[in-house]
Amino acid sequence: MKNNKLEQVDHNNHYKSHVTRRDSLKWLSALSISSLLPTISGCDFLNDTQVNVGEVQRGHWPNLKLSTISGKGYGKDPDLIALSHSPWAKTLSTQQLNLVARLADVLVPREGMVPSASEVGVPDVIDEWVSAPYERQQQDRLTVLSLLVWLDDEAQERYSTDFINLSQQNQFSIIDDIAYPSNDSKDEFIQASLAFSIYRKLVLAAFFSSGVGRKDIGYQGGIAILGDYPGPTEEAMAHLDEVLSELGLLES
Amino acid sequence: MENYKKNQFDYEVIVVGSGAGGAMAAYTLTQAGHQVLMLEAGRDYDPITETPMFKHKGDAPLMAAGTVDKDFGFYDATVDGGWNVPDEPYTRAEGTEFLWWRARMLGGRTNHWGRFSLRFSEHDFKGKTRDGLGADWPFEYHDIAPWYDKTEALVGVCGTNTGLDDMPDSSDGILQPPPKARVPELLVTAAAKKLGIATAPMHRAVLTRPKDNRQACFYATDCGHGCSIGAAFQTTTSLIPMAKATGNLEVITNAMVKSVDVDNNGKVVGVTYVDKKNLAVTKLPAKVVILAASACESARLLLNSKSEHHPNGLANSSGQVGKNIMDSTGAGLGAHIPALSGRPIYNEDGHTSNHVFIPWWGHKKQAKGELNFPRGYHFEISSGFKEPGSYVFGNFEGYGVALKEQVKNYYGTGVYLSLRGEMLPNKNCYMEIDENIKDKWGIPVAKFHWKWSKHELNQVAHGLKTAKAILEKMGAKIKEPLPSPEKAILKGGQIIHEVGSTRMGDSPIDSVTNQYGQTWDCSNLFVMDAGVFASNPHKNCTLTIMTLAMRNASWLAKKLDLDAQKVQSKVEA
Repeated sequence: MKNNKLEQVDHNNHYKSHVTRRDSLKWLSALSISSLLPTISGCDFLNDTQVNVGEVQRGHWPNLKLSTISGKGYGKDPDLIALSHSPWAKTLSTQQLNLVARLADVLVPREGMVPSASEVGVPDVIDEWVSAPYERQQQDRLTVLSLLVWLDDEAQERYSTDFINLSQQNQFSIIDDIAYPSNDSKDEFIQASLAFSIYRKLVLAAFFSSGVGRKDIGYQGGIAILGDYPGPTEEAMAHLDEVLSELGLLES
Repeated sequence: MENYKKNQFDYEVIVVGSGAGGAMAAYTLTQAGHQVLMLEAGRDYDPITETPMFKHKGDAPLMAAGTVDKDFGFYDATVDGGWNVPDEPYTRAEGTEFLWWRARMLGGRTNHWGRFSLRFSEHDFKGKTRDGLGADWPFEYHDIAPWYDKTEALVGVCGTNTGLDDMPDSSDGILQPPPKARVPELLVTAAAKKLGIATAPMHRAVLTRPKDNRQACFYATDCGHGCSIGAAFQTTTSLIPMAKATGNLEVITNAMVKSVDVDNNGKVVGVTYVDKKNLAVTKLPAKVVILAASACESARLLLNSKSEHHPNGLANSSGQVGKNIMDSTGAGLGAHIPALSGRPIYNEDGHTSNHVFIPWWGHKKQAKGELNFPRGYHFEISSGFKEPGSYVFGNFEGYGVALKEQVKNYYGTGVYLSLRGEMLPNKNCYMEIDENIKDKWGIPVAKFHWKWSKHELNQVAHGLKTAKAILEKMGAKIKEPLPSPEKAILKGGQIIHEVGSTRMGDSPIDSVTNQYGQTWDCSNLFVMDAGVFASNPHKNCTLTIMTLAMRNASWLAKKLDLDAQKVQSKVEA
């Protein structure tokens, strides 16, 4: 039983990057950059962050000192047709990426035939995002990396092991405390809840902007139409009439 | 320094800039048989090969989110530009917030503009006569109306005549049919109507019928990315290739004009430019110089062109160059409309911008003194089942299948009303030259001063209340109090409608050019960008830039013809 479970955890927790999401050139490029800049890409979790582990207590929030991402952006005149990859190196460690993937799949699990977040490469998008040399992304980097550290700290405190090694039930017991910020969150979870909300929006964006996500949400545009724009369908107009009626906006 | 291929191409006119004003001036002059040399500070740009059509946001770096490199998102057409241009800074006075958008590319800002194309009215041209504020324009609406017709026909504008007092009619057969309204736009229409406010089809420079070599819109892929099929107007798929086809236009790109040069008598004789590729400095002679480098860039050029005869800068005997800068006011309010949740999904791309907007409805109230601000505004409506990108609309909690359900319930329920209003000129809003800082090309940079007046702040406050009322009629629950107008108003320059820095007028005492954009001080120097605007009506400046450029370049072409005839008759005599 125990072995079985470990295997399952292993299977679930090792995120494999998705070469299919974008063209494979991206990976060749990322690899060549990372081999040149080993200190930026693939840096160790603890080398990259200095965690005040000594002070883990109720209401803990890691005080990370992150090294600045100093790589170049894509510049003022990138090739908009050919460039589908970022020129900057990804920076998440395998350990971080696995946790990112686990959380992404908690947020967007497989649903019947619709793949989960990690199945459509969401962790790669998160990695690209938090590794980008732009201000907003650098802020999100601190938020996301702090959340990852917090989850491990919290798991250590409750169950004396890292988050990724917990049973699903125990993982959810922690996530349930930070996933509902609209409820009267306990003080000790406020920062983690805020961070989780930001992370949730990132994962949702990364999922729904994928081909699978566009289809899942029902987006019907992006298709050339011959002739005039057809406008709302009959069904959409019928629904509008109901709405107008409910809101008291029908022509009198 | 050397002369440009003088023997091969005997141009008469130099046009500085290739955007709305410059391209229309060049098109008009070349059609009339005059040879034009156009100088563009940015690189060459070809929308047919460079436009990212049908690209998904999710396939771009950072899901196509805006960054300092691409402020309006990865796929925005702007090249080498944005709020910051590398090596070309601008400065601000202490306490000033001002943003200056520049595009360094052939076609300038026409490659990414919103394509909103609303005519100014007689009401707009004569604001000062009505309320004593700002300046009147030196012509009547009926002088300009036929040129609006010609410009709309050439550019291709979709929309309808509405008969509303804020929207002068186009002549029959000029406008192309507008696309049908989307569901949220119809809901806004019904809600606004209950408040006595009318909506109208937005007029946009987007073809719904093919024209010249340009195809009709196929209602997919964002116009802001540019348009490889030419449906969404930009000078790089229309005026510039059409002008080139006459054989009368040559273009030099990467040519950063440094000064407009004068002879010992103070007469304009040409320009000096820096080749950005090799830093070579070249003097170009010209019979006539037209500045259309954008309002603030043209003003900067004039202020930097000082000489014995023009000690305060060229064409600046009035002291008005760089003064009177106006942007549009900008603010907005959006909400989740619960009644739209779960509505049937269909393709709402349309021409990718609002099909319906809210024109200014308050002329009569202002005439009666019922409003505490003198000039109007309009609302642009943002809504629809948009392609998902880096931002997901909604307030979420939880995770899993229930979370996905929340996302779907929010999808297509957001409605955002963007206020765009008329600003009045004031003495605190102007630019000068910052003598301490030069750009990479050795040209002293612009320094901006900015302060909104109560006219703009009162207008924004009114707009926010109105937007809230409309959204609430649609069933929105807006719990947060409205922000103060000081907080809500966007920064100066942020709407990218900066105009007025070389304004036209009736008199050399308080204006820089006459009604034809001819500078009072130098008869062979013209301004044909938005610098010449005497006021900045709320209706987006580009259509009027093009209309004035067409009218004024036609006037110039006739003048050049007359001069040529005189020379000819002298020779014959």
